[in-house]
Order: sequence, then structure tokens, then C-alpha cells
Amino acid sequence: MLQQIIAIVIILFFVFRLFAQKKKGQISKNEFTLWLAFWLIAAAAIIFIKSIDRLVAWLGFSGSGINFLIYLAVLALFYLVFRLRLDLAKMDRNLTEIVRQITLKK
Amino acid sequence: MKIICVIPAWNEEKNIAKVIIGAKPFVDEIVVVDDGSRDNTAAAAETAGATVFRHPINRGQGAALQTGNDYAHSHGADIIVHFDADDQFLATEIKDMIAPIIEGRADIVFGSRFLGKKANLPAVKKYLIMPLAQIFTRVILGIKLSDPQNGFRSMSRLAAEKIKISNREMAHNSEIQIKAFQEKLRVAEVPITVIYHRVGRGWSDAKKIIRDLLIHKIIK
Repeated sequence: MLQQIIAIVIILFFVFRLFAQKKKGQISKNEFTLWLAFWLIAAAAIIFIKSIDRLVAWLGFSGSGINFLIYLAVLALFYLVFRLRLDLAKMDRNLTEIVRQITLKK
Repeated sequence: MKIICVIPAWNEEKNIAKVIIGAKPFVDEIVVVDDGSRDNTAAAAETAGATVFRHPINRGQGAALQTGNDYAHSHGADIIVHFDADDQFLATEIKDMIAPIIEGRADIVFGSRFLGKKANLPAVKKYLIMPLAQIFTRVILGIKLSDPQNGFRSMSRLAAEKIKISNREMAHNSEIQIKAFQEKLRVAEVPITVIYHRVGRGWSDAKKIIRDLLIHKIIK
């Protein structure tokens, strides 16, 4: 129970920070919505951790709900790194094209 | 037929003039794309009589070749020859490389170190890296050419229109070969001589080439 409260407090801290960033115009509306959804889902997962435990057991996994959430988080991180790699490659390609245009214009 | 030779160069002030003077008699124009060199490559190339372009930052050999191709294509080239700046190819072989295009037998011609002519490859490269690269290009990429990594090539205007090099670094060699087959161009191979003055690419480059090919396949 105490662990859940600590986790919720941490999430609330990030949610308040998110609202502050939005107010200062540091993040776009889409980014704000994405991160707000992320933190709300994380908070829901912590509040309903017992239900996730039961769901995980029903799915046939031996670990607890929190382990399952960590596996999901690792998968999400891998995916985000992959997306970042692709975005960087696209930016790199665009940079080359700009360099080419500048070079041939001279 | 207008023949333009494209030479990508990076820190090649010592070799570039010799290479340009050697290639001049066999082509109508030489274009050197100085890929952000820190030395006087551009000035040396200009003095030797080449048309010189300079990338403000280093972007890699593939990027420099495409810059040269864009220029050559927009200036009416019928044949574009890719030639290295490090004096490892023989300029006299340019006429062998363009003959299949002039005779109407091919749209793109790749030089090969493995068709009988002299190529003093380092042993590790000759007996280990190249055979593995050949297996990779044949089995994984489906390219049936004898030399998977050769910078000496010539292409017709049609081939230059069909093939846009997107791999800015060394993977462009495989990319050009893949696209030549994908575009159903008529492909020819010509034996060439290679004189190595320094140790070429090794395992780290081989890994990088495979990685770049995969990434560019995904972001296509």
C-alpha cells in the first residue's frame, strides 16, 4: 500500500510538471496529451495492480503484475529507441540533401 | 557522347591532381566533389582542371557521388563514370568501362577485381572478407556480381535517372548494385586493376554497411 502511495505521489509530481510545461508553452498539445495519457495509464496500473496480478495469472504468466508491467515498459523502450534510430536516419538523409542543394547552388 | 567522370574526394590533396590528369584524356569533363576536406583537395583539383564542388561538411562517399551525378545529369552527360580519388584505379581502363554502354550492351557497368586482372588485395580481404561479402550479396541481397564493393563503375543517363544513391557512406556500393537489378537495367561487369596504397575497409565497415542497408530499407 505504501509503495503504491509513493508511486502515485511521484506520478502526480510529473503530471503537475507536465501542466506547468504546457502552461509555459514548452510542449505541444499533442505531446501534452501523449504524456498525460501515459501517466494516467501508469497511475491506473498502480491503483489496480491486484486486478493486473489476476489478469497476468489468468494469462498463464508466473510473475506478478508489476513484473509484467516492467516487461511491457522494456518493450516500449526498445520500440522508442528503434523509432528514434529511424527518425535520426531520416534527418541524416535530409541533411545530406540540404548539403547537396547548397553545394550545387554555388 | 558526353562522358563526365565523377570523383568523390576527401583529404586527397596528394593524389587528386595525378588522378585528374590521368583521367582527363578519356572523358569530356571531370567533376570532383570535395566532401568537406580539411586539406587543399579542392584547390588542387581546380588547378588540375576539374570542375569542383565542395560539400560544406563531410557527408560520405555515397553522398558525394550523388552530388556529382546530379551535376552530370543536369549538364547533359550521356555516360557518368565513378572513379576513386586515391589513385588505386587505372585511368586507361575507363575506356573498357564505358565500352559496353557505347556499344549499347549495358546501362550500367561495374568494375570487378575478381575477373582475372591484377588486384593486390590484402590477404584477409581477399580470402575472408570478400568471400563473405559475396555470399551476403548473393544470398541475402540476390545480386549475382563478382565484386560486391567496387567504386569503379560507369552508368548511362538512363541508369543515373533510375538510381538515386541514398546511402551516404560505404553502403552505396551495394545499394547501386541492388537498384540496378531492381530497375531491370542491363548490367555488365568488366575486369579492372586495383593497386592498393593503404589498407582498405575491414570488419567494422562491413558491419556498418549491413546496418546502413537495413536502416535505409526500412526508412525508404
